[in-house]
Amino acid sequence: MSFLSQLLSYLLPILYLAVLFVYYRIYFKNERKYEDKTKIILLALLIVHGIEIILRQLFLKAMPLSSAFDALSFLGFSILLVYYIIENTFENRASGFFILLVAFFPVLVSAFQHDWQAEHNPLLSNPTFTIHASLNIIGYTALAISAIYALLYLIQYRNIKKKRFNKIFDQLPPLAYLENMSKRSVLIGIVLMGIGILLGHLQTQKAFGQFFYSDPKVIITDLIWMAYFVVYLAAKFRNWSARIMAYLSIAGFIVLMVGMALVLTLGRSFHEFY
Amino acid sequence: MNTHIPLSLIGISHKTAPVEIREALAFSKDEQQTLIHLLPAKFHLGGTIILSTCNRTELYLSGEVEDDRLQELRQYLNEFKHCDYFTNDQFLYSLKGKEAVFHFFQVISGLDSQILGEPQITGQVKDAYQMAYELNGTDALLNKLVNYGLQAEKKVRSQTFLSDGAVSVSYAGVELARKIFTNLNDKIALLVGAGETAELAAQHFMEKGVGKIMIANRTYQKAQELAEKFAGEAFPLNELPNIIHQVDIVISATSSTDYVLTREMIEPYNKKRSNSPLFLIDLAIPRDIDPELDELDFVYLYNLDDLNEVVQSNLMKRQKEVPKAEKIILHYVHEFVEWLSTHASSQIINRLRSYFETLRKNELQRLKSRLPQQGFENVEYLTESITNKILHQHIKLLKANLKNPIKYEQYLEFLESLYEFNENE
Repeated sequence: MSFLSQLLSYLLPILYLAVLFVYYRIYFKNERKYEDKTKIILLALLIVHGIEIILRQLFLKAMPLSSAFDALSFLGFSILLVYYIIENTFENRASGFFILLVAFFPVLVSAFQHDWQAEHNPLLSNPTFTIHASLNIIGYTALAISAIYALLYLIQYRNIKKKRFNKIFDQLPPLAYLENMSKRSVLIGIVLMGIGILLGHLQTQKAFGQFFYSDPKVIITDLIWMAYFVVYLAAKFRNWSARIMAYLSIAGFIVLMVGMALVLTLGRSFHEFY
Repeated sequence: MNTHIPLSLIGISHKTAPVEIREALAFSKDEQQTLIHLLPAKFHLGGTIILSTCNRTELYLSGEVEDDRLQELRQYLNEFKHCDYFTNDQFLYSLKGKEAVFHFFQVISGLDSQILGEPQITGQVKDAYQMAYELNGTDALLNKLVNYGLQAEKKVRSQTFLSDGAVSVSYAGVELARKIFTNLNDKIALLVGAGETAELAAQHFMEKGVGKIMIANRTYQKAQELAEKFAGEAFPLNELPNIIHQVDIVISATSSTDYVLTREMIEPYNKKRSNSPLFLIDLAIPRDIDPELDELDFVYLYNLDDLNEVVQSNLMKRQKEVPKAEKIILHYVHEFVEWLSTHASSQIINRLRSYFETLRKNELQRLKSRLPQQGFENVEYLTESITNKILHQHIKLLKANLKNPIKYEQYLEFLESLYEFNENE
């Protein structure tokens, strides 16, 4: 079991790279022959990744998402799943390379930095924790996807404004589609992360008797979530342009990632309280 | 494989002849029908497909056509059309075998079209084939030729960008609109001017399902006439500032010497428009739309030069796809040749089978009266078994040599001398 689990973990980034190569050929080399094969390739990768997650938990005998590296692997899986749904719904592969590139890095870090030790803490064995962690990760996924669509929006906006009819112009979907996808994803991210954060606070209240625990990760997540929420409302009611929204989505996600990277690098464990 | 392909082609196209010659050599439907009936009988052909469009007239002839017979055929066509162009090598091209197959696949895929990659030619080839087929003017070779041609065409269009992108200015506007808006169903297009240019653009937008068309024109009556045509709404031109905030796309093509649409006219309405994009297409010379408008975030302004650039860029992209498309075509030419050699082999096998069967039956006939019933049946069974075994050995060798052209040819020569028949009979 341990051999299979570790083998799959190391194999996974390689499989992601292979899929990225297919999307690279479609996007940059205009190779249409791969287009009708992407759905089955993505589904196969999803299944392999799903098996890897299950095997890892069985091997570690731990609740899902009980370590930072589990969370990273799940983040990659979650991005892949959302992209699979998007591609199947809209029949557009133009964003595939960029989104899968974002999914690849957490999977890579997860595979090669894993210490293969489960963290043992009563908090982590509570099912509410798994729901809290899952919702937050799916929330991060939605915000990551929103940032990618925002970036693609800005690229396509510049192409149309500057009359640049290059390969990227041909491949990218309409501006309105990119704008809608970015806005919808950010809304999903805000809602899911909001519920996830609330569940986390309720759990700390139950465990330690205080709703707000001054843990750097909690503080950063809460602040960034608040910023997203306020900016989203302001943009909605003050009718900010799609371009401004796109810049904000990208900036918000960069701040979120930098904040999380700092906390994960400097912190002793996932949260200060365990 | 060095398979002989009994196919010839004679034709003219936009690449070899000016329009007046093409006009003179174009065949009407009646003429095509007459020729489909006449040519095979008169020139011992297996069949004919006649493709006659505004850009080309081509005759695909199945069967052995020697050079002198081809010359006779061209002479006959001269008489038929009362001209001498069919024997003029300056305009007419003549291809044979693999080259004719390659050319046909190029034509059906739009690679030989005046506008590279245009799709109409495929329909025109299908119609030409349909006519020949219905008049019993095709044989197995022509049927397979069209079949493989259509497969090649499908692959070329699905695996290359040969037919992608607009190649006319008015259609380029529609394509750009589809890069800005997800769908046009809920969008309103405003035509400023009611001339032919505006009408053509409106037609393209209607075809792509634009939600509504509004027309503003200096002469209100003209606007009304055009509005009726597109089930739209007409306005006098001075109403423009009051309706501009309602629309998503503006196509302007007036003969005005001043700007019809200015920054002052649009800027105040941005709040009403909730920052939604405004696509402006200026098809007029001198320009109708103030170029300063392009500085606004929500405005996408394209003039004639910009649209021409889109068209040129698309044509260049199509041109770049040609080698990829030709590679696909070449693959199907090989497939066709392979089919032909297998087809030829199966014809030889049938001939051999028939040869042995006749031989066996003749010999049995001579024995029939001399043998008792039971003995005759045994001999009949025995001879059948022996001929099948000999035949099987020939088929095995023939199939084994299929992949080696030299050995295949040698084996055919051997069969020819042994049984006195040849592949092309």
